[in-house]
Amino acid sequence: MAKRKAATKALTNKSCRQISDLVFDYLNEKLTPATKRDFEQHLSICPDCVSFLNTYKKTVAVTSSVKVEQLPPKVRENILAFLRKRIRRIGAFLIFLATYLAA
Amino acid sequence: METFEPMTGPTASVETEFVAVTAGGLEPTLRGRASARRKRPSGKDESALIERLKAGDQEAFEAIFDLYSPKLYRVAQRILGEVADTQEVIQDVFWTVYRKAKSFRGNSQLSTWLYRLTINAALGKIRREKKHSKEVEYEEYLPKFQEDGHHLVRPVVDWSDTLDEKFAKQELQGLLSAALDQLKPLDKSVVVLSDLEGMSDKEIAKTTGLTVSAVKTRLHRARLFLRGKLAVHLGYSAA
Repeated sequence: MAKRKAATKALTNKSCRQISDLVFDYLNEKLTPATKRDFEQHLSICPDCVSFLNTYKKTVAVTSSVKVEQLPPKVRENILAFLRKRIRRIGAFLIFLATYLAA
Repeated sequence: METFEPMTGPTASVETEFVAVTAGGLEPTLRGRASARRKRPSGKDESALIERLKAGDQEAFEAIFDLYSPKLYRVAQRILGEVADTQEVIQDVFWTVYRKAKSFRGNSQLSTWLYRLTINAALGKIRREKKHSKEVEYEEYLPKFQEDGHHLVRPVVDWSDTLDEKFAKQELQGLLSAALDQLKPLDKSVVVLSDLEGMSDKEIAKTTGLTVSAVKTRLHRARLFLRGKLAVHLGYSAA
């Protein structure tokens, strides 16, 4: 392990901590060409960072697939009924106001 | 009165190509996040609806409700968790839309305004009612490094290929939902808008009022936390 650690340090410009900080921009293709090159160079000799990247990517993928509750028809009806009632009230109030002001 | 900033770039086709680096080299894997789920009416149709809404046309209001309520409900429900709370938030959002339609200057997308109202209403509800009690310290689940910058715990186990085998789909969904609920409310909102709704970082910034840089930082940290939760659940170190 000590040998591998020394090799990682000697052969790349980035540490594993820096790779962790850069992974977001790497996946969004926002790294400069030079930084991307350093990033990928580090990955080519660091299996720990390859594992880190793969598990990070997997996390994003499974999070994207989390099931979300759809709007139930009954709830939709309740909301619409509430809104229509309020709009009617406002309409009635405006008619009252207009009549009052005209009188 | 809310202010509306101009959107930059197209928003209906937000795509991000993810590239997987494996021991074997680079290979494209995921294209886009949840962008395929986001379909909008054409700008022309929407503008006409907005103009009619501004004139007090109730049919236009209900057309906008039909277009956006499923999406906004999904977002609010994921943030709040409870149907009754979500219903209340969506009611408030659309009531605000009806009352304040005239103040919508059209500099930004209608959807940005609607998502912003929804996020603000949901976060406001959590804040007012102190509903968020399950929050945990992120630190325990974030990767850790030695002083020289190497991973603290080695080897880092690649469990990406075994996750689906080890858990039934429903169990994984439950685990992730619970982990999402442990995020700070604003972080959860950012994750929901990004990884579930497929918004770009810029759109999320406009929706939440955060800077793009703050969006990236929060999203990255939240993803690291979720990754750590998954790792620990699988019996591995989060570090």
